[in-house]
Amino acid sequence: MSAAAAVLGKDLRLLWRQRAGWLSAAVFAAISVLTYSFALDLATGEVRPLLPGVLWVTFLFAGIIASGRSFAAEVEQGTFDALMVAPVSRTALYVAKVVSNLLALLLIELAVLLLATILFNTALLTPELIAIMALGTVGYVSLTTLLSTLGSRVRSREVLMPVLALPLLVPLLIAAVRATGGALDLPTGGSPWLLLLAAFTVWSAVGSALLFPMVAEQ
Amino acid sequence: MSAAPGSPLQPGGARRAAAGLWALVRPVYDARWTLLPPLTGAAMLAMLVGAVVVAPREAIEGEVQRIFYIHVPSAIAAYLAFFVVFVASILVLWRGDMRFDAVARAAATVGVLFTALTLATGAIWGKPIWGTWWAWDARLTSTLVLLLIYSGYLLARSLSDSTDVRAARYAAVFAIIGFVDIPIINMSVRWWRTLHPDPIVTTLPGNQALPDSMLLVLMIGMAAVTLLTLWLLSLRAETERIGVEAEELRAQVDRLEADGTRAGRGVA
Repeated sequence: MSAAAAVLGKDLRLLWRQRAGWLSAAVFAAISVLTYSFALDLATGEVRPLLPGVLWVTFLFAGIIASGRSFAAEVEQGTFDALMVAPVSRTALYVAKVVSNLLALLLIELAVLLLATILFNTALLTPELIAIMALGTVGYVSLTTLLSTLGSRVRSREVLMPVLALPLLVPLLIAAVRATGGALDLPTGGSPWLLLLAAFTVWSAVGSALLFPMVAEQ
Repeated sequence: MSAAPGSPLQPGGARRAAAGLWALVRPVYDARWTLLPPLTGAAMLAMLVGAVVVAPREAIEGEVQRIFYIHVPSAIAAYLAFFVVFVASILVLWRGDMRFDAVARAAATVGVLFTALTLATGAIWGKPIWGTWWAWDARLTSTLVLLLIYSGYLLARSLSDSTDVRAARYAAVFAIIGFVDIPIINMSVRWWRTLHPDPIVTTLPGNQALPDSMLLVLMIGMAAVTLLTLWLLSLRAETERIGVEAEELRAQVDRLEADGTRAGRGVA
């Protein structure tokens, strides 16, 4: 247990020291919401129904950028090989990385909600919306963290990450957009979207945690 | 990760049964290069004749309905191929044998081909019947997502070395997640919207929706496309295997050359 805590400590320290990485994802998210708000305003006067889609597409891309280099520092510095021989379970390595990515992304998303509240003139920082956002974020971060382990072994990895992650995340996108729409009193089609979002999140977290040791194996 | 022979996962009885089954299948497998081309050719020809000449003209949809005899088998062949990718990927992780990686890559290529064929024939049918090439219908969307997942798989695998074991393991993990994701995608998009006609072959025999002659042509189509899938799969897997072998030989030649240069310098 103390080894797992030490790994988590390492990831939180890395999160602080390498803040330039995920802060650039935050800047990307801000630019994305600004550009959407601007471009959609040119096309239609009624932008509110488009808001859930705007938010979640921004979240997913920011998530892919922020978690895309999850283990890059460890692999480059040789820490990863040391961790592989250390008496720490590989699941703990994975969970610690998910937690640190999650922290970064929740911060980014809260900032995005604040920005969108101003730009779209809609109260977004409600407990319900924040809960939906946090649930969906656990769902996609667990998957993108697993997919980011491709490391530097593949050329043009930056392009590959969204190409691999987004099709797998289609159910999450549908459920999250509809659930967010429901929280904003938009029509949702009546299916239990929150349940689907929770089910996807559970499967993505458990499945990724089970499969991570197999990718990490030397 | 690899289970030792005789481990509780594989009791002796099951192993002997598998060996017996393999002894039966073995001659067919060995003769695949002589059997598959003529059989596939004959079955494809029968399908074509059946679909264009034998099958009756559909009362409501007209001639365009005949595309159904290639559309449905293609969709099933795609799922069959992706199931092969799934099983081969599990074997890559479990056994660590790169031959299964070649099979997975081969099956993914064939699966992507048939998924694209399914989408293309569907669009050709959709234009006169629905009035549009494309609609964000549940089945169309999930088939498109399927195409994207396995295109991503092939892209990831082609951007890495074919002999790279870790890239192969990574791709295998991605393929497994992708396959398990399929039912979740299907469910989510069905909740979202649906327009596609219901499957009509799998209904109960009592209230069969398809006349016998149409069902017969469809069955011939299934057989033809399954044979084509097997043939393409064999060809592709063999190509992948030869590619890996060539790469290993090249690496060996490079090593020998390097040794030779060093030895030559030593003598001089």
